[in-house]
Amino acid sequence: MTIMEPRKHGDASDGTVGGRQTRFEGNLKVTGGATYALEYPLEDLAYAILVQSTIPAGRVISVDAEKALAAPGVLMVLTPDDDMGLLVASDWGGNRPDNQPYYPLPRQVQYNGQSIAAVVAESREQAVEAARLICITYEKAPHVASFNDTAAGEGKVMDNLTAGWGDAEAALAAAPVQIEGEYSTPREYHVAMEPHGLTVKWDGDQITVWEPSQWSHGMARSYSEWFGIPYENVRLISPFIGGGFGSKGAALAHGAVAAFASRKLGRPVKLALTRPQNFTNYGGRAATRQRIKIGATEDGILQAIVHRGASETSTYADWPEQTGAATPILYRIENFSSQHRVVPVNAVTPGALRGPGKNPSAFGIESAMEELAYKLGMDPLELRLKNYADHDYQSGKPWSTRRLREALTEGAEAFGWSRRSHEPRSMRDGKTLIGWGIGCGTFPVLQAPSEAMIRILRNGRVEVVSGAIDMGQGTYTILAQTVAEVFGIPADQVEVHLGDSRLPGSAIAGGSMLAGSILGAVHKAATAARDELIGLALNDEKSPLRDTGANTLTFSGGRVAAPRDQGPSLTLSELMAALGRDEIEILRNTLPEGATAQEQHQAWTSMVKVQGPTMGEYSMHSWCAHFAEVRVDEDFGTVRVSRIVSAFDCGRLYNPRLVESQWRGGIIMGIGQALLEEGLVDQRNGRTVNSNMGDYLVPTNADVPHIEVISVGIPDYGASALGGKGVGEVGIVGVAPAIANAVFHATGKRVRDLPITLEKLI
Amino acid sequence: MTRTIHLSLDINGRRHELDVEPRVTLLDALREHLALTGTKKGCDQGQCGACTCHVDGSRVLSCLTLAAQVEGRQITTIEGIAAENGELHPVQAAFVEHDAFQCGYCTPGQIMSAVACIREGHAGSDDEIREYMSGNLCRCGAYNSIVAAVREAAEMA
Repeated sequence: MTIMEPRKHGDASDGTVGGRQTRFEGNLKVTGGATYALEYPLEDLAYAILVQSTIPAGRVISVDAEKALAAPGVLMVLTPDDDMGLLVASDWGGNRPDNQPYYPLPRQVQYNGQSIAAVVAESREQAVEAARLICITYEKAPHVASFNDTAAGEGKVMDNLTAGWGDAEAALAAAPVQIEGEYSTPREYHVAMEPHGLTVKWDGDQITVWEPSQWSHGMARSYSEWFGIPYENVRLISPFIGGGFGSKGAALAHGAVAAFASRKLGRPVKLALTRPQNFTNYGGRAATRQRIKIGATEDGILQAIVHRGASETSTYADWPEQTGAATPILYRIENFSSQHRVVPVNAVTPGALRGPGKNPSAFGIESAMEELAYKLGMDPLELRLKNYADHDYQSGKPWSTRRLREALTEGAEAFGWSRRSHEPRSMRDGKTLIGWGIGCGTFPVLQAPSEAMIRILRNGRVEVVSGAIDMGQGTYTILAQTVAEVFGIPADQVEVHLGDSRLPGSAIAGGSMLAGSILGAVHKAATAARDELIGLALNDEKSPLRDTGANTLTFSGGRVAAPRDQGPSLTLSELMAALGRDEIEILRNTLPEGATAQEQHQAWTSMVKVQGPTMGEYSMHSWCAHFAEVRVDEDFGTVRVSRIVSAFDCGRLYNPRLVESQWRGGIIMGIGQALLEEGLVDQRNGRTVNSNMGDYLVPTNADVPHIEVISVGIPDYGASALGGKGVGEVGIVGVAPAIANAVFHATGKRVRDLPITLEKLI
Repeated sequence: MTRTIHLSLDINGRRHELDVEPRVTLLDALREHLALTGTKKGCDQGQCGACTCHVDGSRVLSCLTLAAQVEGRQITTIEGIAAENGELHPVQAAFVEHDAFQCGYCTPGQIMSAVACIREGHAGSDDEIREYMSGNLCRCGAYNSIVAAVREAAEMA
């Protein structure tokens, strides 16, 4: 077992892959020197503010902007009457309808809080004041506020998410022990600390967009398609992103509005969403509900799982929050049936939020497994180990690596699980009830082609250049470590350039696919650059290493030399000077040899080249087991999480210090999901009631105990070139059921609908 | 409203002259008028702490403070706490060492709060640090490391 405690002082190996190097861009972030999207000083800047609908469904009849236009400093008001001449852009799959007009400020109102108009003024204050003067007349239509609305109906089945094998209904009916429960999760929101917004500027038909982005190339493509300009004419810049969690992977309507306003005014425009607008201008995690039936033998061997789930979507797009995503692969199961529906409601289309699908799915199956454990009178840890999946029963393929058993046993050891008393309400400290619970999690390994450039400079520094982004996962740091290792130099001799759509193409920072994908390209490019340098150093007549007779060179301790101390050793700058070279530049990607320019463009700007977890010979996933302790006030029902131990199999860790931070971050978001987070909808008008950070509660420092994280992973070279599996998404998956299970153990009350608030316990 | 007022603000030991509308907040004055963008806007309604600055040494939310209110007061922002030679403030250094941030957006506010928290004498225990740092939200979830960084910096102070 490896318990990763922070070390005070690093050593030389910290600068290589797998080392605990501190964050590469750390000094910029602690001094205020890191520049986010709204912080670029531009001359002659105008400020835009959005006006949003106040009805949930209907049509805009008219927008009276007379008073707003007369207000001081106002430059422009945009309404549904303005035809911006835009075209619909491609979806994630790269599919695009022909010549379909795009209206970022639409006449049809599909949800409350939809952007309907925009005001542009000389100052933000003037724009805000004028926005209040706009008067919109609507024709209202009937609405569906949520999927609990009686008018919502059952929704439609997503055929691509229907799964089954064996005969689940028959095996369930024949099983001597059965449990059944319905589990639900509310609308949840990203609440990244940096609100959405952008600064945009045109130079002729060239556009520069400063916008927080999890995918600089994909978002640049949207701007080019909206405005009908070549992809090369768009430059999207995003070196620092103030948190995304899935919300900043796509260009959104407000981006089109700001870009149009800028072009029309001939001035740069800054548009910042207000915090409340961040709750309706793009979707968070959809509300879900799922019914799970499990059949088992009396000694706890699973016989059948029957799962039926549903999630909310909008009235204009199908976005499934897949409640059956983790259900089929956590346990050995011979008879399985799952179906998922989407239910259209008048809300913004939901989106990806940390651990999409897997997260609510794990809340269902991991709650149900503990319900089964209590029905059997069996330790929930024993039940999980007893039903350990030796392979993936869904795809029939072997696991690439699966250290979930080690996660369960080593996590239990670190937590002290053996000291648990099984009966609910049997552990207490005075008037405080204490409970322990387990929740397992998983997230698939996704792989995407990427590209990277390496430049060896005359001054001995090495640059790594990529359009990949870093929103805090550690891209800057692990790229520097990888290049430092290849060249045998300290990481501070490496320069990292990221977050610009003009730079080489990259996988999206989403679905935990970036690190594994981009490091493959960086390692390939760096190795090729090193080989190029070796070739020159051994063959160039000016090279002091030419006469060593060596057929390769070593790169170590900042010096290049022949093996076994034959001849001189040089620093990179000495070698570049001796060779008379100013720069060696190498570009490599991980597409198959001979990929066309069109295929490359498609690879960087759509999801069509993304490889799923079972597309090869193996089934590849990250795994985790969370152990939670809660303390519940017996009189008031208040729940405090007092201890968490989580053990992870994410393969090889490129930088354990940063990985531990991401795991803890996911776990803390899971604490919020379990106890605090809930988007509330006014059924009368479909309005999001708590659209701010004071009423939509996220965990504060005082809500969070010390969290112990353990790595039990081993390198998985099928999952990625350097052996890592995904880190960012899996951390949250399984946390909420671990806490719900602990609350049951403490109180004897099973809460099946999140969040677990005190009124559900008293 | 078009009227502007003239303000002379003492920020990080330097005098800044600016003409702004009286309704401009300290936060917008810093970010939009003085190019001091280290102070962050997370909610603009006093709920998240990202805009935390010091006024006469006490922490304030600059989004809820009008720029006109702080004339004649000493304002300190994240740009003003490292040494002249660039050496990091002990709290800044501890944040880097303990990896007390990920995206970095709440970080200036966290650090300004932490400096004041220590000065107030509210960093005596981990629980006390958690309580007195709870006005600063961090969605990346760096709280464990923030507590460790504040504790270490407090021990050195």
